Amino acid sequence: MDPEVTPTEPPQLVEHFFRHESAKLISVLTRAFGVRYLDLVEDKVQEAMMAAVQAWRQPGIPANPSGWIYRVARNRVLDALRREKIHQRALALSHQTEEAIESLVEEWLSEDQLPDSLLRMIFVCCHPGLDRQSQIAMTLKILCGFSISEIARGLLISAEAAKKRVQRAKKTLAQQQIKIDLPPAAELQNRLSVVHDVLYLMFNEGYSTSQGHEPLRDDICEEAARLCHLLCQHKAFSTPETRALMALMLSHAARLGARVDSKGAVVLLAEQDRTQWDRKLINIAEVWLERSKTGTPSRFHLEAAISLVHCHASGVAATNWRLIVQFYDHLLTINESPLYVLNRAIARGESGDVDIALAELESIRGHREMRSYFLLDCALGRLHELGSNRTAAIEAYSAARSAAAAPHEQALLDKKLTQLRGP
Amino acid sequence: MAKFMFVYRGGNDGAEEPSPEQMQQAMQAWGDWIQGGMTAGWLLDGGDGLKPEGQVVQPDLTVTDGPFAESKELVGGYSMVEAADLAAAVELAKACPMPAAGGTVEVRELAGHTAE
Repeated sequence: MDPEVTPTEPPQLVEHFFRHESAKLISVLTRAFGVRYLDLVEDKVQEAMMAAVQAWRQPGIPANPSGWIYRVARNRVLDALRREKIHQRALALSHQTEEAIESLVEEWLSEDQLPDSLLRMIFVCCHPGLDRQSQIAMTLKILCGFSISEIARGLLISAEAAKKRVQRAKKTLAQQQIKIDLPPAAELQNRLSVVHDVLYLMFNEGYSTSQGHEPLRDDICEEAARLCHLLCQHKAFSTPETRALMALMLSHAARLGARVDSKGAVVLLAEQDRTQWDRKLINIAEVWLERSKTGTPSRFHLEAAISLVHCHASGVAATNWRLIVQFYDHLLTINESPLYVLNRAIARGESGDVDIALAELESIRGHREMRSYFLLDCALGRLHELGSNRTAAIEAYSAARSAAAAPHEQALLDKKLTQLRGP
Repeated sequence: MAKFMFVYRGGNDGAEEPSPEQMQQAMQAWGDWIQGGMTAGWLLDGGDGLKPEGQVVQPDLTVTDGPFAESKELVGGYSMVEAADLAAAVELAKACPMPAAGGTVEVRELAGHTAE
């Protein structure tokens, strides 16, 4: 044993080390060799990590695990390119020598330069040439290190569908010869807004409990927030919208833990133990919203503001519902979504205006997005409850119960109905 | 006390390659197991993994590529363990990460021919 080395605890890997290492290496190496070698880079990074898993079992984790994986991955990519005789061509295309690429890659991997490559990759995965589903799948695959089956599990789609989305995206990126660049100033606004939408949807996918709780979906929320934070750290991308989106994600994330009970069952907002909400995250969300001030608030600003009203209320009755109604009024001037109408109606009902709320709900009944009526009937039930109309409440909840697809939704509605029917 | 060799086969079951997160979990599990065994003293040598490719020397000294066993039959690695008897060694094998990863652990006592 080296006498210089004092025995200490063996180095431990940080949480999700491999996941983020994968994103980092794929982003940097693909940037070096071009998007057409994305598949090859992904394979080699995977191999390098498998090698690490084997090699680190026995002597333990090396002092610089990132450097270790990078060296193996880089060598394997270069070997593969040489073997396939595409190396010279690739080098010629990139107008670089092998040594130049290597030193460039090492520079790009340095702590201060790494975000640049990751951000470029975000804009590639969220390229407007890809459809929305593929953008989300690609972001999860490349930037979050999710496997196909993890994407499938996280997005509640089949593995086959997840694979297709990723393959479709890669094909489009290669065909259109998409460069791994940041968007030019003229396109910045539009390109950034696509990234916002993708991260927003990704977060919502992870946050939704429509199919019950699955820990992997919390990871999706965490990853969406991590990528949003990366945008926040960049001068050009840290716009009021980006910061508001950050606030929105964190204020929701603060309540993640309280949404599930010890048995894994979903707990609705009204019944959540609010002492379990993460006060620290709520405060950070608050700071981001503070920093996002603008004369023209986006839907992210307003949704974050609504979420924070809930965060600050000690219970349903103590919630400032009138303020929430105002925020929804504003949201509806930005986007006339029937879901906003529905949520505003509930807020209105909670604030005491049950009759107006009921009329508003009726106004969206014919809307295409309300097709299944499940949410609408739940909302109706709640409003009739608030209006002390027990019979109508039972009727609405029964209708919702017959439309409920997920077992936990059925269970929640059964409980509600039992309470209402009473002894 | 007797010495045993754990022979690992298979693992990483499933058609898909493990995801980064699964790799990290697997590594963590092995690291913890090895660390625990070393500290407690029953793990003599954590052993090593074997690369899947290799060659086989036949009785007539011809050399063939291989082994071409099915991946679940392929020896993937080994460890050296000390235990009171076979039953105790088997209990230790049950707690290693291999079964949970879909692989098997063959527990074999060293014959001791080379022991002093």
